[in-house]
Amino acid sequence: MKRTLVALALIAAAAMAFGQGTIKIGATWPLADITGKQGSMAAQQAVDEINKAGGILGRQLELIVIDDELKADKGAAAIEKLVTVDNVDVIIGGMASGVALGQVPAMKKYGKVVVSTGAASYKVEEALGKDADWYFHLHPWDYNQGASYVQGWDEIQKKFPNIKIKKIFLAYEEGAFGKASWDATKTLFGAGNRYVIDGASFKSAALGGGDYGAMLEAAKMFKPDLFLWAGYDADALPMLEQAKAMKFSPGIYLGAPPGWPVGFGTSRLSENVMLYGMWAPSINNVSPVSKKFYDGFVAKFKAEPATYFAPLSYSAVYIVADAIKRAGSTDTAALIKALEATKYESPLGQTITFTPGNIIKHQGVKNQKILQWQMGRQEVIWPFESATAKPVYPFPKWK
Amino acid sequence: MANKRNRTAGLVLAAAVLGILVWRPTVLIYGLQAAGLYASIAIPMGLILGIVHIVNLAHGEFMMAASYLTYTICRASGMDPYLALLPVAAVTAAFGFLVYRLTIRRALKAPELNQLILTFGLAILLTQAANLLFTSQTRKLSFEYVSASVDIGDLSFGVYNFVFVAIAVAMVVGLRLFLTRTKAGKAALAVGQNPRGAAIVGIDVDRAYALTFALASAMVGLMGAVFITRSSIFPAVGSPFTMKSFCLIAMAGIGNIPGILASSVLLGVSENFLKAFRGTREWADIVFFVLIISVILGRSIRGKKA
Amino acid sequence: MKRTATYAAAAIAAVVLAVLPAFLGAYPLNVARSVMTYMALAVSWDMLLRSGQISFGIAGLFGLGSYASALLVLRAGMDPVLSLVFATLLTGAIAYALGFAVLRLRAMYFSITTLALAEIFRIVLHNLHDFSGGPEGVVLPGVIFGGAAPALYWLCLAGLAITLGTSWYFERSKLHLALTAIRNDETSARASGVDIFKYLLVAFTVTSTLQGMMGAIQVQSYGFTTPETAFDANFTLLPLAMALLGGIHSTLGPIAGAVLLGIASEWLKLKIPYGHLVVYGIIIVLVILLMPRGLVGLARNRRAGRRA
Repeated sequence: MKRTLVALALIAAAAMAFGQGTIKIGATWPLADITGKQGSMAAQQAVDEINKAGGILGRQLELIVIDDELKADKGAAAIEKLVTVDNVDVIIGGMASGVALGQVPAMKKYGKVVVSTGAASYKVEEALGKDADWYFHLHPWDYNQGASYVQGWDEIQKKFPNIKIKKIFLAYEEGAFGKASWDATKTLFGAGNRYVIDGASFKSAALGGGDYGAMLEAAKMFKPDLFLWAGYDADALPMLEQAKAMKFSPGIYLGAPPGWPVGFGTSRLSENVMLYGMWAPSINNVSPVSKKFYDGFVAKFKAEPATYFAPLSYSAVYIVADAIKRAGSTDTAALIKALEATKYESPLGQTITFTPGNIIKHQGVKNQKILQWQMGRQEVIWPFESATAKPVYPFPKWK
Repeated sequence: MANKRNRTAGLVLAAAVLGILVWRPTVLIYGLQAAGLYASIAIPMGLILGIVHIVNLAHGEFMMAASYLTYTICRASGMDPYLALLPVAAVTAAFGFLVYRLTIRRALKAPELNQLILTFGLAILLTQAANLLFTSQTRKLSFEYVSASVDIGDLSFGVYNFVFVAIAVAMVVGLRLFLTRTKAGKAALAVGQNPRGAAIVGIDVDRAYALTFALASAMVGLMGAVFITRSSIFPAVGSPFTMKSFCLIAMAGIGNIPGILASSVLLGVSENFLKAFRGTREWADIVFFVLIISVILGRSIRGKKA
Repeated sequence: MKRTATYAAAAIAAVVLAVLPAFLGAYPLNVARSVMTYMALAVSWDMLLRSGQISFGIAGLFGLGSYASALLVLRAGMDPVLSLVFATLLTGAIAYALGFAVLRLRAMYFSITTLALAEIFRIVLHNLHDFSGGPEGVVLPGVIFGGAAPALYWLCLAGLAITLGTSWYFERSKLHLALTAIRNDETSARASGVDIFKYLLVAFTVTSTLQGMMGAIQVQSYGFTTPETAFDANFTLLPLAMALLGGIHSTLGPIAGAVLLGIASEWLKLKIPYGHLVVYGIIIVLVILLMPRGLVGLARNRRAGRRA
C-alpha cells in the first residue's frame, strides 16, 4: 500500500515536471466537420513546425484539441476542461457562432487569452462585450465581410469599367448564416440607393432542402447584374444545374459558401463562377507563407486544405507562438500586450494585425477576398495586391 | 350521397389545380417534382413499416450509404449512375438482408421501442462511418442531362426531376403487382396483416420479413444511385429524409402505399405554392407539419364518429 | 423494510449529489449538468411511456421552455429565477391545451403528431424574427447566478430532483395503476371505469411541464439559445435511447441509462477525438441486442437467477 502511494506520488511529480516543460495551447473545433477537422490538423502542423525549429523560449508547444461536436454545451464543457483540468496557457479554435455563444460565459469567467478562428455572428461580439480584452478574433465578423464586399465591388467597377452593377439579388439559406448575410447585404449595399437589392430565401441542401426552383424563379424575374447565394457547399452544383435548366444567367454568378464540394472545379459548370473567400491554393503563387503552409499540409496529411479554416488555424498557432516569444512568458497581461503588437505575414496572403471591431478591441482579419473559378482553379480577383488573375466578365450565357 | 360529395370534392380540386396551373405554372411543376422525390424515398420505408412493422430510423442513412457506393463506383469506372444502379441495388439488398439477420431479427421479440432505438444506433454508426471515410465535404457527380430543359413561351424549367415521379409511380405499381400476383408477395402481405395468422397457415414469417427488408433495401439503393445525379451527398444527407418519409407514411396511413404518393403530391404542391410568394416563402416548411397533424387528427375524429 | 432501505439509499444519494461541488472542479460539474439534464428528460419521457404513449416531442417542449424563459427575461424584463417558474407553467399550460387534441391519438400517430408539433414550434420561433430573434437566436444579458459553477449545478440538480420526485410519486400513487391499466389493455381499463382521458391528460401535462422546466434551466445556464440549439432532435432521441438502455417503465432505468450514455459520450470524445461517434453508435446497437430489457432488466435477471 505504502509503496503504491510512493509510486503514485513519483508519477504525479514527474507528470508535473513534464507539464511545466511545455507551453500548452488548448483548442476546440467541430472535429467531425471538414472545417474543424482540417483546422485542427493545420494547427498541429504549425505546432510541429515550431517545435522542430526549437520551440518557444526553449520550451516545446503542446496542442490539446477537444471536439465541440457543433454543440454549445459540449463546447462550453470543453473550455472548462481545457482551463481547469489541462491548465492550458492559451485557447485557440472555434468555428460555429452557435458554439461560441455557449463558450463565451466560461471564457469570461477565466479571462484566459483566446485567439478565435471562427464565430462570424455579431451576436457573439455582443455577448463578449467591450471589456473582453483577452479575446482576439481572427475571423471577420459578418458586418466586416459585408463592408469588405461593398469596397471590393466599388474598386473592381472602377478598375474594370466594363463591369457595371446596379441590381443585386441575394439568395440566402434560411438559417442563421443566410439570415445574417441578408441583413448585412440589405444595410450595406442598400445604403445611399446606389444599388437595388432584392432577395429570396431557400432551404439549404445541407439541412434537408435543395429545391431552388421557386427562389431562382424570383431571381430570374428580378434580372440581377449580380446574383449572390449564401448557402453551403451542398448547394453549389445542384443550384448551378437548376439555374442552367431555367436558363438563368446573370452578369455575375457568385457563391459564398464556407467551402466548396470535392472536385467542383472539374465540373464544366464551375467556369467563371465567382466566390467570396479568405484563401485559395492559388495564393501560393503570390505568398511564400501560403506555399510553405500548403506544401507542409499536403505532405503531412496527403490531402488538400479544403477550406480557409486550415490556413486560419495555422495562423492562430503562429500568432500565439510569436506573441509568447515577444512577451517572454505566458502571463495573461504580458501576452495580451504582445498580441496587440502582432504583425504576422499569414498564408492568407495578407499581414494580420489587431484593430478594434465595433465592440471588441482586438479584431484580426477584416476583409474577405473576391475570387473566381477559372479553368478549375480559384483565382483571387480582389484585393488587387494579392490578385492572381483578372476577372472574366460577364458570366457566360448557358448554351 | 357520399358519391356526390366525392364528386364535388373532385371538381373543386380540379378547379384549384387548373387555377394554379394558369396563374403560377411553376408551382405545379416544382411541386410534382418534389413530390416524386419525397414519395420515392418514403415508399421503401412504408413497405418495411407496413409488413415488418418497424420504423427504420436508419432509412435515410441506407440511401446515403448507397449514394456513396454509387459515387465510388462511378468515380473509379467513369460509369453513369443509371448503369451503376443495378449493382448498387444488389449490394444494398444484400446489406439490408444482413442487417435484418444480424440485428433486427434479434430485436423483433423485444418491445417495438427497442427496434426503433436499434435503428437509431445503426443510423449514427452509418453516418459517422461515412464521415470517417469521406469527411463532411460534399461530393457530387455532374451530368449534362440533369439540366435538361423545356421552354414554353417565356417559361424555361428543368424537366429532369420528373424522373422521380416516374420512379415513384413505378414503385407503387411494381409493389402492387408483387404483393398481389406473386407467391412471395402474397405471403409478405399476409404476414404484414396478421403475422400470427400467417404463421398458423404455414407461411415462413421470418423469411417474409427478410425478403421484405432486402427488397426495400434494394429500392433504397436504387434511389441512392439516382439521388446523386440530383443532389450533393455528405454523411448527414439522409437523415432529414427519414423524418419526412415517416411523416408521409403516417399521413397516408400505415400499409397504404399508393397513399404515400397522394400525400407527397399534396405536400409538394402546397410547399411550392407557399414558396412562390414573397410573404409566405419562409413558412413553406410549416405547411408540411400542419397538414400532417390535420390529416391525422381529422382521420381520428371521423373514425370516432363512424 | 425494503421501502426503508430504498428511502435511505435515495437520501444518501441526494446528500452526496448535493455536496459534490465541494469536491469537483468546474469541468466535471459541467458534464454532470449535461447528464442530469438528459436524465430528467429520459425519466419524464418514461413517465408518459408507462401509459403506452410514445412521445417524440421532448425537444419541442424543451425548446418551448427555453424560449419562454429567455423571452420573458428579454422582452418582459423578468427576473431570471422568476422566469424559470413562469416558463415552466407556460409550457405546462400549452401542453394541457394541446393534450385535448393529441391524446385522442394512439401508437405511431401520437408519436408523429408530437414530433410534428415540435417542428412547428421550431419553425414559428425561427420565423418570428423581431420577437424571437429568428434563426440567429437570442442572447441574454448574462448567465443566471453570475455563472458560478456550483450554483448552476445546484439549479440543474433541483430540476432533476423535482423530476425524480414526481416520477416516484407517479410510481406509488393510484395514477400508476391507471396508467399501467391503459398500457396493458385500454378497452378493459375503460370498461372497468378508468377515466382514461383524464389520466392521460394529467400525465402528458405533468411530463411536458418537467421537460419545459429543464429547457428553461438550460437556457438560463448558458445565457443564449437558437432554434436549432433549443429544438435539437438529440433532445428527443438521446433521452429515448438512455431510457431504453437503462430499462423502461421505471425511474431507476432511465437514471442508469443517462449515466451510462452521458459519461460514455464525454469519455469517448476525449479518448478518440476523430470518430468517437462511431463507437457511440456501436454501443447503442450492442446494448439493445445484448440487453433487450436494459441495465435494470439485466440486474433483475441476475438477481432472479441467483435466487433460483
